[in-house]
Amino acid sequence: MSRSWDAEYSEYVAARLASLRRLAVVLCDDPQRADDLLQAALTKLYVHWGRARAADHPDAYARTVLVHEFVHERRSSWVKRVSLVSRITDAPATAVDHDAVLDLRAAVAALPARQRATLVLRFFCDLNVDQCAAALGCSPGTVKSQTARALAAVRRALGAGGGAGAATPARRADGGTTSARSDQR
Amino acid sequence: MTEPQIRALFTGIAEAEAGPSRVSPQAALRRGRARRRWRRAWLAGVPVLAAVAVAAVILAMVGPFGPGASPVTPSPGPPAPRQFSPLLPGVVFGSLPAGLSVQQGRVESTVVGAVLGSTAAPLGWSVAVYARGQCHLTGAVSGLECPAQTLAGPTARFSAPAPTVRGGSAFWAGPNLVWQYARGGWAELNIPVSSYYALRQDTATQHAALKIARHLRVGAATPPIMFPAQLTGLAGRWRISDVFYEADGGVLQAQSYQLLTGTSRFFPHVGDLGIWTDAPYFQIAPAPRTSTCTPHDRASRNTSEVINGYHVVLKRRTVGGHPEQELCAARADGLAVDIIEYGAHPAIGVTSLFRQLRLLGTDPANWVRDPIR
Repeated sequence: MSRSWDAEYSEYVAARLASLRRLAVVLCDDPQRADDLLQAALTKLYVHWGRARAADHPDAYARTVLVHEFVHERRSSWVKRVSLVSRITDAPATAVDHDAVLDLRAAVAALPARQRATLVLRFFCDLNVDQCAAALGCSPGTVKSQTARALAAVRRALGAGGGAGAATPARRADGGTTSARSDQR
Repeated sequence: MTEPQIRALFTGIAEAEAGPSRVSPQAALRRGRARRRWRRAWLAGVPVLAAVAVAAVILAMVGPFGPGASPVTPSPGPPAPRQFSPLLPGVVFGSLPAGLSVQQGRVESTVVGAVLGSTAAPLGWSVAVYARGQCHLTGAVSGLECPAQTLAGPTARFSAPAPTVRGGSAFWAGPNLVWQYARGGWAELNIPVSSYYALRQDTATQHAALKIARHLRVGAATPPIMFPAQLTGLAGRWRISDVFYEADGGVLQAQSYQLLTGTSRFFPHVGDLGIWTDAPYFQIAPAPRTSTCTPHDRASRNTSEVINGYHVVLKRRTVGGHPEQELCAARADGLAVDIIEYGAHPAIGVTSLFRQLRLLGTDPANWVRDPIR
């Protein structure tokens, strides 16, 4: 291909690599997996670079490729989810606030890939429902239902009293939470 | 209460020290180039498509249906074509959901395909239509086996029967609709949802898929694919194969294609997707404003020449033990030209091909329907 194609792609990736990696890390919650995910997504982005650079929002296009790759990869490899949980378990949990964060982290990590991707797009990328639907390739209604289910699942994992209550030191001391992470200990 | 915590969690993850990145944009570029080169991009690049096989297997385990559950009715009307012309898109879409249009497509002798997209869903829908005899039902009508490189892999495993499509049997296969479009001919429509489970709950998308399938016409009069260059005076018998096109302003513009002859041979395990020897590969498209040839591949030996008044770069390297020669013209009559050929003794070299290539400029109005005269 012409150098222009390569040069434009290389310039774009160089400029966006850090932000794309951040998104990959948030999606995967694991830098190693995030790198694998981003590597695969960048290859696909190159393949479709003609359409990406012609798109009104190349960043949205790149994000879509990354999210699709994440959803696919998560569905096809349950082993990596196991390693994710073990990584969280290995983390030190000395402070009570840190415990609460780890509970939440484990609860979010346990979500199906599509639900986690939905939360990341809504609450990390700050996309609205329509933008989120475009990135996931589904209807706005599906985004709403996926968000609701994900939040409900997280709340369930953190305890019947809701996320904030489960995160309080008193409840932790009482053993009132039932997070996936604490179950693994 | 949970939302702010989740926002804080994601922010914390993003801001935490992730260590040095192992990501190599150059490696992505190289692999991406290889995929584009062999024109499997429209299959390999759509992430949803790659998930089909996995989703289909899972669903087949959850709820297969046995013999008798969905009798296959022979599609009425004439038989499906045995072969497709490489110079025509082969399919016409009579009805598409609002905002959706053909973005790109590929034509081979036994399969034609198209990617439909929109601004809102750029990765879109994909269609593959197989020539007569290319696909076969598996035992107990549990799936459809087609040649390698189908949308759903070698086998599309059926998830559930679907309403008939113009009298022919149809099935949901993961996030695909598979149907018999004519006697002996099958087609697949990949739907931009994650799985059959998601599709089952989305009747609007099901209806849209069925509508696309019911209005799709195979072998009907189609607008031609237009080629920006024409080879003249070629010795020997050559034919066009594996044409990849992109739609721009209603014109189907050939972006790449291959020439095959009697001695062409495929090596499936070389490179990302296999290579052909004695089968020159062309990529020709209007050159971007800053077009130059890629000079920085350390593994190749580059030389420059002037052929027909155009500056070209010749690159020679070895791929999987097979010599590769590539000719790149960054801007020849406004076109970026890339010709690639594999093999130690190709029937015709890339420089000879370029000498015999009549370039037709950047205006598709001047392009031709037949790239070999």
